[in-house]
Amino acid sequence: MEIIISNDSKIPIYEQIKEQIKSKIITNDLKEGNILPSIRTLAKDLRCSVITTKNAYEELEKEGYIKSMPGKGFFVCEINKDLAKEEQLNKIEVLLDKAIDIAKINGITKKEIKEIIDILYEEDK
Amino acid sequence: MLGFIKKELLMIKGNFKSIWLILIIYLLIGIFNKMDVSFILPFICTVIMISTFSYDNLNSWDAYAFTLPNGRKNLVKSKYLVTILTILFFSILSIPLSILITHLNNLPVNYLEILVTLFGAIFGTLFIISIMYPIIYKLGIEKARITIFVIIFGIAIVGAILIQFVNFEFIPNIISTLSNYLIPILIIILILSVLISYFISLKIVSKKEY
Amino acid sequence: MEYILEVNNVSKKYDTFALKDVSFKLPKGMIMGFIGENGAGKTTTIKIILDIIKTYEGNIKIFGQDKNTELNKDIGVVLDDAFFPEILTPKDIDIIMQDIYENWDSKLYNDYLNKFNLQNKPIKTFSKGMRKKLEIITALSHHPKLLILDEPTSGLDPVGRSEIIDIFQDFIQNEDCSILFSTHITTDLEHIADYITFINNGEIVLSKTSDEILNNFGIVKCSEKEFKKVDKKDYLKYRLNACDYELLVENKKDFKKKYDFKIIDKITLDELMVMMIKGE
Repeated sequence: MEIIISNDSKIPIYEQIKEQIKSKIITNDLKEGNILPSIRTLAKDLRCSVITTKNAYEELEKEGYIKSMPGKGFFVCEINKDLAKEEQLNKIEVLLDKAIDIAKINGITKKEIKEIIDILYEEDK
Repeated sequence: MLGFIKKELLMIKGNFKSIWLILIIYLLIGIFNKMDVSFILPFICTVIMISTFSYDNLNSWDAYAFTLPNGRKNLVKSKYLVTILTILFFSILSIPLSILITHLNNLPVNYLEILVTLFGAIFGTLFIISIMYPIIYKLGIEKARITIFVIIFGIAIVGAILIQFVNFEFIPNIISTLSNYLIPILIIILILSVLISYFISLKIVSKKEY
Repeated sequence: MEYILEVNNVSKKYDTFALKDVSFKLPKGMIMGFIGENGAGKTTTIKIILDIIKTYEGNIKIFGQDKNTELNKDIGVVLDDAFFPEILTPKDIDIIMQDIYENWDSKLYNDYLNKFNLQNKPIKTFSKGMRKKLEIITALSHHPKLLILDEPTSGLDPVGRSEIIDIFQDFIQNEDCSILFSTHITTDLEHIADYITFINNGEIVLSKTSDEILNNFGIVKCSEKEFKKVDKKDYLKYRLNACDYELLVENKKDFKKKYDFKIIDKITLDELMVMMIKGE
């Protein structure tokens, strides 16, 4: 399982782990029933504290993305993909809202914003 | 405790390499001077064993050993055991060596003299270590050397002074009265002093802190 | 939670220094970093835990029992400057340890020797880094449950440290095992320590999970005007620098909610140490 952590980021490491696993589940990279690496193995692979990975898994479990089977490990749940997508859309909406605020204050048009979005999508490809 | 014993033996092995050349030279000198110097062997043991204390001290081995299972006890036990066994071993080894040397010098072999010298050497070395070891454990090897030097010096001075004033002639009388029992008495004194020394050392080490 | 090591209210007085009421607990399966300045009391505390120092007030429990010499068989130790006499060789150590520890694993020991390329020569020919590696290997090779290490990575170059940290992480895969290690090299800890215990002048200043410290603690930078607005309760320590004030706060989010200051930075262990020691 590929997870890339930034030590510099303001986002706590456990949150980075959580979000990346979440996105893999939503994009079907991790399918229902897939088993996740153990808390300790993941901590070793990512070179971080066991408590960090434990927090990440616990929150994912609380949010319903994974479940733990005692003695067996953590498994990906069947999730309501729509609900999950909804959550991510809400996040995007909040971020775009901020960007639009800045645009309005500085007289930047909707067209210019859409151009930027196009360029950014192309860049990723 | 076996591990600790192995450690002492491995250190002797390491030390021996620097000693054996001197040993051979000394023996050769003795042979050429028609002297039986084989009794030197137990004394060399004492020197080697005491030098292990120096090495131990250099690397703070004692502190590390305290963290090993039953470390404090085994530290003292193994040191005493190895000291006694090596002294006895090399002393017994000196018997054939003695015989060899006297043969080489074409002298008659005096078994009684060999045994007496042997006994004297064993008694002397074991008595010395009985006194030295607790002092080394208490004060550390550096201070112990100085202390022992001072003690011997002090005894020598006191003895020299006393001889002027006291008539020691009664001592030979006591010795001849005891002479039948002299050897057993000396053996008992020796065993007692080693045992007392061992228990004192154990007590000192059990309280030691670094 | 089961604790593999409990240090309870340990105090010890010396002429110029004293440990005062030192307490912390290490759970099973965790790594605790023990940090502090030189002379803060790290080594003294470790020596007390290991019974190298025997006279002290307070109580040490290991594996749930009062400390006694029988427990040493499950404890692996690396001290700052105490080890086998240097005329001995790694092979000698193997021979000796087989009869000291019942769980001594000769194969594991020799595998580690090969991995770190340690020749069978007297220890006195080894460099400082090689000696440390040998000491660490020796501590690991009897499959202890608790590793207690005093500055285990000192003298090692970054590659060596990285190799050793990997070995520690392998060790901790077993949930019954724990590590306590004291160090100056806080960057190592930021990666793998689960708990951080910070001692200063003989007293424990804090003992928390590293997540809590690195995620919640922060350094606020502000002007004198802003500083005057801040309630004393809302920061732990402050420092007056040439150009600004620095505040150590326990919870970045709470602080941000209360005072909307612009600069609230993530904290590193180094900064934490300096603020706690030099701040007011």
